[in-house]
Parts: sequence; C-alpha cells; structure tokens
Amino acid sequence: MTFDINKAWCQNAGARENSLDIGAGVIAADPMFTHEGGADESPEASRLALGRFINLMRRDQGLSIEALAEKADVEIGDLLSLEKNANHLPDVRTLYQLSEVFGVSQEKLMGLSGLTHANDDYVEEAVRYAAKSASVEVLSEDEHMILNGLISVLSENAKKK
Amino acid sequence: MSATTPSDVTPVWLTEKSTKETVDAELWHGIVDKNLADWEAEWIPDLQRRLKLLNQQKVERRFWPQSRHWDWREKLREIERRLANLSFAIMVEDMTQAMMTIDLTKRSRMPGHEGQHLVYIDFLEAAPWNRNDLAEEPAKFSGCGSILINAAIQQSILEGFKGRIGLHSLPQANSFYANACGMTDLGQDATYENLRYFELKPEKARSFIEKGKGE
Repeated sequence: MTFDINKAWCQNAGARENSLDIGAGVIAADPMFTHEGGADESPEASRLALGRFINLMRRDQGLSIEALAEKADVEIGDLLSLEKNANHLPDVRTLYQLSEVFGVSQEKLMGLSGLTHANDDYVEEAVRYAAKSASVEVLSEDEHMILNGLISVLSENAKKK
Repeated sequence: MSATTPSDVTPVWLTEKSTKETVDAELWHGIVDKNLADWEAEWIPDLQRRLKLLNQQKVERRFWPQSRHWDWREKLREIERRLANLSFAIMVEDMTQAMMTIDLTKRSRMPGHEGQHLVYIDFLEAAPWNRNDLAEEPAKFSGCGSILINAAIQQSILEGFKGRIGLHSLPQANSFYANACGMTDLGQDATYENLRYFELKPEKARSFIEKGKGE
C-alpha cells in the first residue's frame, strides 16, 4: 500500500526543511555526546566578536543581510543568528563562504565561533576590537578603524604573536 | 538477508538545493539490498571524506556528525524478522538519499496521551551529501526528512495510532523536529545518550501531512 504524498506538499516540505539537519536515533556508544550540543561550552565573547565582525563587514560593503546571504550563498537565518545570537553555532560551510567573501582566514573564523580550539592570540585581540564598537546603522570613522583592525587580525597573513 | 525489491513504491519529490528545482524521487517501502549496497559503497566513503575535511580544518570531534557509527546492515539484520519493525528509503536517480526504520511496539510518554500506541522512529539518516553539518559542501537535496516523517505519520494512521509518532533527535536536528515538524520536546532522555525525546500529537500530525498540500 502506497502513501498519499503529492508534489505540492513535497515542494513546500523541501523549502521548509532547507538547511535543517534531520538525523534521529540513539547514538551507538559514543561517549562524546553525554551533554547538549556545543553552545554551553563555547566562548560567548569570541562569538560576539565574530558576529560584530560580520555585521561591520556587511555594512561596510553596503549589504543587507539578505544581500550578503545571496552573495555568500548561505542561509539568511544563519547570518541573522550569527550577528545577533552569541549562542548560535554556525555551520562550517557558512564560515567557509563568509571567509571567501570577506577575504579573511576561515580557520580564524572557526576559532572565533568555537568550532575549533584557537591556540593563538587573535581571539583575544578580535574580542578587544569588537568591544570597542557600538551598534549604529552607518559605519562611523571609528568603526572603519575598528573594522580595519579586525580584518588585519583575522586575515591569513596576520603576524603570529 | 534483506529483500531485493521494496514491497511498495510511493512517488515523491525532492528539491535540488543548487537549482531549487523539484526532482522525481521514490519512497521505497522497505530497505533492500540495493540501499545497503549504496550505504556501503557510497555513503561510508563520502562520510569518511567529509570527516577527513573536518579533521583537517581542526573542527573539534564533539561537533562532528553523531550518526557516523550507525551500521545500517546490522540494524536491518536486527529487525528483518520482526513484523513490528518497518523500514523506508528515498531514492533519486538510482541512489539512496535517506533511510528510516520504525518500531510499532512503543507507547506514548506525552502527558495526557501516556500508554497510547505510536510509531517510534528508531533511526533516520540522510546520505552525507544531503547533510548540512558536514564540512563546507552544501547539501544536495532537501525534503528527505519531511517525507520520511510524513511516511511515519501515515503508517501510524494505518496502524490506528492516529498519527502519533515519537523519536530521539540528534542534537543538530532538534530544530527540525520542534519547528518544521511541530513535535513536542519532552526533554533529554538520560537512558538514550541524553538525546532529546520528541512526540507528535494526532492534531499536529494531521496538520503536518495537510500543510502545503494544495489541491
């Protein structure tokens, strides 16, 4: 006996599901997952710095969140969460795409997000820069300076301390 | 030994994410040899390749996909003689895109519904290329999870369980079950690796399979 699932329903379901993961079932004896996934152990300050960096870069390039999402081929919701929510753990792919668009190091963006363990001083430095900025609509001269500082800290060629 | 052909085939459609085009697909009633062969020959090597990328990018192991230990051949061996267990697979272009096994013996834990029969989803997994949590490559098709949940609901209705379903969600999928499916989050289950347990009420089940149906 077959089921009643029509094309319109599937199209809507595909759009609704989009970037969501779907796995279900008991994890077979994997001792790593005895806690909730991720956010509680992640560095909130460095995630705030990551969100601030993305916000500044986006505005510096005159892009709306929607326009940046399209340019980087990432989900709007993921970008929104990245900018606004320090508990949000981004996808590896999202950070890869943003690093390509912004011309900075993917590895360092992953370090800021908490996806990787950052061994360098750049996290602390990025947080310091981000802490100097305030949220306004148009980038001020000060914000331009802060953004330039963040770019130099997060670029591939930044000098290791 | 598993079957060579599915007992039934329901036509379904997936969305190709890069083009947003709808592609013809099939929901196979029963995981068969072909699906297990795809899992062994295509899923596992692709998953290993993606895990290698995550490792090279120094992503911490706790953020790696959690279903990487699942052994579909072993799972099918466990349930093949049990009438109370069913399985499903989604196919596109002769390749397995997602698989699910269900158990018809479990009961509801939802307050107000305790003890009622439901369809319990033992395992549900998408092929590595349809997942978002694996390295930087975008997922290929979307819609597999919703179609399999729809199938579980319709099986629940056929069994007289009024569309009730239950499952333990992997951490990265909590949002899908809570928001896209409208399931009730009954909290972490200490007896199931602390995964969150979700159930779908009959009225939400009806709404899920009718939502966006058109016609």
